[in-house]
Amino acid sequence: MEQQLEEWLAEGYAVSFRTACLILGNQADAEEAVQDAFLRAWRFRDSLTSVPSIKPWLYRVVVNSCYSKLRREIPHRDRRTGDEALRDVASVDGDPATVAQRSEVAQTVLEALHRLPVSLRVPIVLRYYADLSERDIALAIGRRQGTVKSRLHEARRRLADDPSIATLAFDAASDDSEEA
Amino acid sequence: MALLDEDTLGALLHELGDSYPIPSSGEADTLRRAQRGAEERRVVPEQITFDLGPGAGPGAGTVRRVIRAHPRLVVAASLVVVLALAGAGVLWTNTSTPPRVTAGSAVAGRAPAHSPATPSRAGNQSEHSATKGIASPSSAGAAQGPAFSASNPDLARTPTAAAPTTAAPNPSNLPNGTIGQPARIEQTGSLDLTVPSGALSSTMTKLVDLADAYGGFVANMDTQSGSLTGSTPSGSVTLQIPVASFTSALNSARSLGKVSQLTTRATDVTGQYVDLQSRITALEASRQQYLTIMAKATSIGDVLAVQSDLDGIETQIEQLQGQLNVLSGETAYSTLTATVSEAGAAHRHHHRTPVATTSGWTKAWRDSLHGFAVGAEGLIRAAGPALFALLCLVALVFGGRLSWRRLQRRNL
Repeated sequence: MEQQLEEWLAEGYAVSFRTACLILGNQADAEEAVQDAFLRAWRFRDSLTSVPSIKPWLYRVVVNSCYSKLRREIPHRDRRTGDEALRDVASVDGDPATVAQRSEVAQTVLEALHRLPVSLRVPIVLRYYADLSERDIALAIGRRQGTVKSRLHEARRRLADDPSIATLAFDAASDDSEEA
Repeated sequence: MALLDEDTLGALLHELGDSYPIPSSGEADTLRRAQRGAEERRVVPEQITFDLGPGAGPGAGTVRRVIRAHPRLVVAASLVVVLALAGAGVLWTNTSTPPRVTAGSAVAGRAPAHSPATPSRAGNQSEHSATKGIASPSSAGAAQGPAFSASNPDLARTPTAAAPTTAAPNPSNLPNGTIGQPARIEQTGSLDLTVPSGALSSTMTKLVDLADAYGGFVANMDTQSGSLTGSTPSGSVTLQIPVASFTSALNSARSLGKVSQLTTRATDVTGQYVDLQSRITALEASRQQYLTIMAKATSIGDVLAVQSDLDGIETQIEQLQGQLNVLSGETAYSTLTATVSEAGAAHRHHHRTPVATTSGWTKAWRDSLHGFAVGAEGLIRAAGPALFALLCLVALVFGGRLSWRRLQRRNL
């Protein structure tokens, strides 16, 4: 079980880190949260024998670390530090036009995502980025499956009502149809 | 109601998420640090983890997590609990020790039918001195109390025929010692009372009044002023209280001062009582037969012989009847002996001896020790409630914090 956890932590680091980035909106916080989550996961690895599945368990640990960050540290800090992530996003690609476009999309999506309350943001990130099933999300956030379903529905409704996301979605759909 | 397409949402989030670069430290470094950190942090919890046992239940995991997460807090809480328990124990000991209460019961009697019918008082520990005793004014009246005979100590305590035999204990409240007979219980009690200085006389009067109030009488009263001997004024009074009112009278007497010692004893004399009754019945039957024989006697010699035997039988009957009356009186009235002393007696005795025999240094040392003991006692007495309040506060803070965190987590 220890070996299995080690492998999973190694493989799941990237997705855990990026999930934390989407939830927290800040790379440094996400890195600390994942570090803390891995520490907890390794410390409580003995309890892995009693969990049905390792993946939601680990996501639960990551989400709890993010919750702790959101509750304890981030409220006392300047929210604008979240922009740091977008500068990093911008530095990924060398083409200025593409960089600018991707930066704009990332900015828009991130802002829309962070306009959602955390209770809606976490399920939607876990569902549409981490690709967890509703059942696994329920295990990860410690809520009933019905609650997860309703939260996902509410989050999608709110995002659809967000004009910036609606524009992006329309553009994406137009690109797809042109390509088709 | 419009909903965002799942595929579009997934694509947007994947695009955003994947655009975050993985930190240079990477997963290997994070994993290594996590493993190292976990091993380092494991040292402390293992030292203070309590063995909750294999069947500790579903809450055991939570307790372990709390212990691991807040080791210092748990140690502090444990310390507070231990101190609070110790304080409570000391308080409890202090409040329960001073009045040394002993209660005893003895079963006398159940003697064989032909055992000698001596008026033994098995288990009776109180001293009766009815010959020297003084009766209270009310008990001197024929209607209220029994009369006394100064010539016979036993009969002195025997109520006359007018004395209410119904004053015997309520049979429904007592165990039946013999079939068809209510249990005959002889109850005695003694208590030592300490009263404030100058309150001896009034307390003695109240004790005497107690006897009147419960339909009893004063069997003995002795008061020492202590002016000649230099000792503390004290006194003792022996009350005879109807058995049914004994407990109430005892409680009333206890409320008159600080009880330093209380002893009660109950002795079952049903066997003796029944034995005496049966012997009297048998002797009366013999007497009746002798009377019949005497009526049929024709010669003077026969009459004289029968008369002699008849006299002997009647003497025996009278003796046994007397013993039966004594026993009835003892079971109808309980004896309560109260010794009253004024406060400061122990203190004065305690200090008088050292002053006479020891030097000033020793006295100072003893006073110092005494002061230390008093101070420590006061501190412990005050620490109990304070620690209890602190414990409640800690529990409240813990509970509030836990609830708050749960509420916040639920709201997230």
